[in-house]
Amino acid sequence: MTFLRTHRTLATVIAFVLAYVVIKLLSVLPLVDGGPLLNGYYIQLIALVGINIVMTVSLGMVNGFTGQFSIGHAGFMAVGAYTSAMITTVWLHTSTANPWTAYPVFIAAILTGGLLAAAAGYLVGAPSLRLKGDYLAIVTLSANELIRTVIRVTEVLGGPRGLGGIPKLTTLEVVFVFAIVSVVLMRNYLFSSYGRSMKAVRDSEIAAESMAINTTRQKVFVFVFSAFFAGVSGGVFAHLLQFIHPDNFSFVKSLEYLIYLYVGGSTSISGAMVGPAIFTFLPELMRGLQKWRLVPQRHRKEVSA
Amino acid sequence: MALLDVTHLTQFFGGLRAVSDFNIQLEHGEIVGLIGPNGAGKTTVFNVLTGVYTPTSGTIVFDGQNIVGRKTHQIAQAGIARTFQTIRLFGKSSVIDNIKIAYHFRMSYSNTDAFLHTRKYWQGEQIVDDYAIDLLRLFHLEGHADDISGSLPYGAQRRLEIARALATKPKLLILDEPAAGMNPAEADELLEMIHWLRDKFDLTILLIEHQMRVVMGVCERIKVMDFGETICEGVPEHIRNDPRVCEAYLGKGA
Repeated sequence: MTFLRTHRTLATVIAFVLAYVVIKLLSVLPLVDGGPLLNGYYIQLIALVGINIVMTVSLGMVNGFTGQFSIGHAGFMAVGAYTSAMITTVWLHTSTANPWTAYPVFIAAILTGGLLAAAAGYLVGAPSLRLKGDYLAIVTLSANELIRTVIRVTEVLGGPRGLGGIPKLTTLEVVFVFAIVSVVLMRNYLFSSYGRSMKAVRDSEIAAESMAINTTRQKVFVFVFSAFFAGVSGGVFAHLLQFIHPDNFSFVKSLEYLIYLYVGGSTSISGAMVGPAIFTFLPELMRGLQKWRLVPQRHRKEVSA
Repeated sequence: MALLDVTHLTQFFGGLRAVSDFNIQLEHGEIVGLIGPNGAGKTTVFNVLTGVYTPTSGTIVFDGQNIVGRKTHQIAQAGIARTFQTIRLFGKSSVIDNIKIAYHFRMSYSNTDAFLHTRKYWQGEQIVDDYAIDLLRLFHLEGHADDISGSLPYGAQRRLEIARALATKPKLLILDEPAAGMNPAEADELLEMIHWLRDKFDLTILLIEHQMRVVMGVCERIKVMDFGETICEGVPEHIRNDPRVCEAYLGKGA
């Protein structure tokens, strides 16, 4: 155990690999009658958990560890999703038939999506993070809606119909590799001198500034790389669902990420991984309860009997 | 040449003249006190010196460079470190991290090294670890290195705040009421510590303080302010007997 505590990066990787092995076994071994425990539906949900983990951990970098309040994370996800989908689908017509050409294009596409999202993050963050206080919340909220609205009215991007026909390049393996790499990179950053400066900004911005830390630069940098990871997540997301719609990336989506983050604990990376794991599954597990809302209170006993 | 040379410093807040025509020259190695009744403008002077406010007029030359208009972190990098009237530690970070944060601008590795934990990162962390532990040891805080700084007792928090300021390796240390909330015994310890700091770290010290036993015991020169104006300046004995100072603190005799 002490070994894992001192080699935290390795511990994170081992945890992910173990999780992958278990999930893979459960999706192959015929445990229940007629087939494996985890069918395609569950595998897709687990892939979504992986994407949501990266989204939540990256949001935690800004909200939890730097103490800024960003509430438009889904906007940057949209930028990444649409950029990468445009590259693989509209411009390059990537097919999944030949993985040797499909995957390099896919990786280049999601990284481009991430870079564009980071650029959007810079445009949003650079002016608003100069100010101390809650301005970032207002600006990110409006940026989120602005991005969504622009996509809605842009015919090339599918407009209000959404963008379909995206090749299914995101597999469970892709999600795992993506989640491991992203979480390890962000963890590493947090356990560095720059990570300590982030926490200093959170604890007392005036003191941090007096201790020779360029707080504005630190805040903007964290915000930009957080937007980058959101953009890459968006790319992975688009190639999982194969269809994206502007309303997938509304403020409600941003709120979901805030919920994932604060349920798990905003100042802990493991918390930012537990939150999305629970809350991606919970709505699906409770889907069966939905029909009950049609039944009036006084009849519920009879129906359930 | 003086380490710090402030001339004709004036600071307005709207129509309020918080500091008016403030002048001070600090020679290397001096310990100078700034006193005055509440609201006299002492903390405003500190905030102007450290770049929190940009002065309405006047010049501030520190170590040969004009620092008016520079940002707070640039002034800190130039070599002015401060503590705060109310303690402002990084309360949720560990004691040792507080020191390491102040060392941040001297760290040699880049953002990329931080993401990838390269060899350069490990070397940099080793250096800052050793440095921070050495500094904590000087302030008898090494036993608390991994404690959360907000959980330390009050006196230890004050010591840590001074240690943190020193981690930026300043030439000028500015202390804003270091003895606030201390009992006489603790204040005496502080007196010794200020002398020790100056000799050990080759510092020049400017301090605001209300406890006269500290001010009279430690300062070689004292400046008295009232309503933004400098009313008196000199050695402690001179200040003690100056009628204008008595008037500012106690009011005019009948």
